[in-house]
Amino acid sequence: MPATIRDLLDTALAAFDALALTAEPVEDEWQYVRDLDTVWRARLTAVAGARGEEPGGPEAERAIAALAAEAGRISDPHRAIDWLSTLPQVALAALGESA
Amino acid sequence: MQFMEARPDGRAVVYAHIQADALVARLGELLAAATTLQRLLGRAVMNGESTEADTWRAMFPALFGAAAPPPGDEGRERSEAILAASLEVADRGEQTRSQFRGAIVEAMTERLLAERTTPVRRERRILFDGRPAEIHPYDVTVERDGASEAWDCKWGARGIKADVLHQLDDARRGAAEEGGRLLVGLVVFDARRSCEVRLVRERGPVALEGLKLIALEGLDRLAGRRPG
Repeated sequence: MPATIRDLLDTALAAFDALALTAEPVEDEWQYVRDLDTVWRARLTAVAGARGEEPGGPEAERAIAALAAEAGRISDPHRAIDWLSTLPQVALAALGESA
Repeated sequence: MQFMEARPDGRAVVYAHIQADALVARLGELLAAATTLQRLLGRAVMNGESTEADTWRAMFPALFGAAAPPPGDEGRERSEAILAASLEVADRGEQTRSQFRGAIVEAMTERLLAERTTPVRRERRILFDGRPAEIHPYDVTVERDGASEAWDCKWGARGIKADVLHQLDDARRGAAEEGGRLLVGLVVFDARRSCEVRLVRERGPVALEGLKLIALEGLDRLAGRRPG
């Protein structure tokens, strides 16, 4: 069964959660990590609410899979903080949405 | 208000070599001419782990997929060139890539500003009558009577810190006290949404007062173009 936009955003959010966990050891940036989580989760959830039942399409499916796999390779906590901002932007772009 | 060369120190000497690297110049030029999505590609690749170009092509279907401009098209060739050059940066190791990324944002900013106005300079200090000068130079300046500008360039929103904001505010106030005008701002190679949450935490709800913020989506404004 083809993935819906909601399925793809669920995949992106799972990768986002994993990045937040990787970033956790940087105590000085705890608040910033929380703030990124708040604003980007809200943006991705809003897209899921508006377009969640639409089929994602094979290219978007491949894009989100590649993006989640790339996020999974990030093991450095500082790099993970940078990716907490990058991942949602790339996910939104793959779905034809602005940041 | 007077613009001056930065004092040469050890950091400046090392950094000057990075700024002069051909790869920095190439990416500065490519990103200045790029679309927002192409700039996001550069940000992701230079921040990433994968060195396989096809991994990144898959992640950006609007640039490389079925509906993207075909090979040979100017936009497609630029996407490929940004991908290749960004992979070269990513391949240089963590510390080097971090220095390169900062220099690339400065090089891009210099080119964008130069499309709109002159003269544009790099690594300059600003002196005000009767005040000690800030030690750290401003990354990019426009030194034009009555319409001068001072920009600090950051790779990511995380680079927005209290000392950076203080230095920009200080320059703006210094110019105003002399009856002059100095536009001060931050150029951040990151999403505006991330920059805004950072600014609010660093400075409170009046975060943007007197400060221009140019984020990834709005970089074309530096050149006087509408964001594309």
